[in-house]
Amino acid sequence: MTRAELLLQVLIFSLGFFYALVYYVRVTEPVDLQAVSDQLFAYLTSMLTAAFAIGIINLTRIHWGNVKGRRPAWKYSLVLLVCMYGMAVASMIASPFAVDPQNVVIPASLVSLVDPIWEFLYYKVLVSVNATIFSLLAFFIASAAYRAFKARSLESSILLVAGLLVVIGQAPIADLIWPGFSSIRDWIMAYPNTAGQRGIIIGAALGILAFSVRRMIRYPWGR
Amino acid sequence: MMSRLIKGSEPRIIYLLLGLVITVPVLSHAVLPVPVTKTTRDVYDFIERLPADSLVVLSFDYSTSTVPELHPQAIVVTQHLFTRPLKVLFLAQWTDGPALTDAVLDSIDKGDKRYGVDYATLGYIPNTATLIGMTTDIRQFFPVDTMATPTDTLSVIKQYPAAKETSLVLTFAAGEPGLSAYLQYWQARLNIPVAVGSTAISAPGFMPFYNSGQIVGILISMRAAAEYETLINQIGISGATPAMMAQSMSHILIVIMVVFGNVAYLARRRQSKEAAK
Repeated sequence: MTRAELLLQVLIFSLGFFYALVYYVRVTEPVDLQAVSDQLFAYLTSMLTAAFAIGIINLTRIHWGNVKGRRPAWKYSLVLLVCMYGMAVASMIASPFAVDPQNVVIPASLVSLVDPIWEFLYYKVLVSVNATIFSLLAFFIASAAYRAFKARSLESSILLVAGLLVVIGQAPIADLIWPGFSSIRDWIMAYPNTAGQRGIIIGAALGILAFSVRRMIRYPWGR
Repeated sequence: MMSRLIKGSEPRIIYLLLGLVITVPVLSHAVLPVPVTKTTRDVYDFIERLPADSLVVLSFDYSTSTVPELHPQAIVVTQHLFTRPLKVLFLAQWTDGPALTDAVLDSIDKGDKRYGVDYATLGYIPNTATLIGMTTDIRQFFPVDTMATPTDTLSVIKQYPAAKETSLVLTFAAGEPGLSAYLQYWQARLNIPVAVGSTAISAPGFMPFYNSGQIVGILISMRAAAEYETLINQIGISGATPAMMAQSMSHILIVIMVVFGNVAYLARRRQSKEAAK
């Protein structure tokens, strides 16, 4: 292990141990460790902002390279760059994310010109396109359910029946057909589902804990 | 075509049928009575029981893709809060949140509520640090609101300088960051009641927290918005109730298709067994 790796390892271990300690033990004297933890968390803001900037620089380098070199599908790269910078500039001038909402630097006339453009791009284009793509899932789910949801074994049959009862129970019309559908759906959600979800949550938490401890003490992989 | 449908290799018929059962009810404006589920009623009752002047935080933790499911919930809950003598702060853990907050505020009847006095939009929370920090001092982490007004000039912030005094936080959560941050840092540390508006697909994952009492209620998908419209007696305000007939018909179609697919599958299996004999 080089000196740099050792330093990094000590840092990872110290921070991991510190956050675990602060979460479970309240220490207020001589130093309020909770306040220190909150302050350290606050430094994350600047780190994340830097990560955003790196992401934008990276995207620009890759896609500008595609456009410049007329690589395959370079037109899509051009669309991406125009959309990204166009929306960013419009958002910075007029939107809830505007950099100068009081119009101290940017003239009000420019804001009133860009504002309807931003509103159109956001509410009429972005919202509609994203919502449409998400809603198309209904068609794929219907098709996939028809093809894959088969009673091939006892387990899959139980899953099939439970799934169908929840799907029916979630439709308001089910209560008009038979009020019992809602009760069955509520029971499935409250008991078998909760039991399964708790198992998944606790299992995942233990997995994360084990991974974190291994990372902190640099336990060799593969053992 | 029919044999390919039975074998499951012809999805176009399913797409066509699903398209029809969605479009026809939407165009016919048929309205179904929507029974109110317990998870939705719990959210409504909790808000109804809040004392006057209590602080409620609404967190818009979804993006434009989940607008069809979560935006109607945000509209009806905000409308409900604005009919009660409560103070409301709007936050967002997702970058789209502030714009969607504005869209909600533009689509409701604000009555006599005044910006800065009864409600304020604080905007985007970049990370958990802000979420934790604002529980002790909102002004330090949000020096200005989304309109660049200094937050220390807003009377709602003067009244509630720290978010630890929140009586309810409701997150409209499409994923992460969403509910878990509020559960870990607001509910577990400060005992602030939390409710969640979720997509249908996320709701099963939230049920353990609801059953353990860590969440006061769950609004599940667009149906919860329709139920909430019934509770606040403003049918159609979010567009959810008119959509319920289409949702019901599509669910029934999926159930019929799955049953049909299984009958065909079992018949084919029997045929091949008999042929093997």
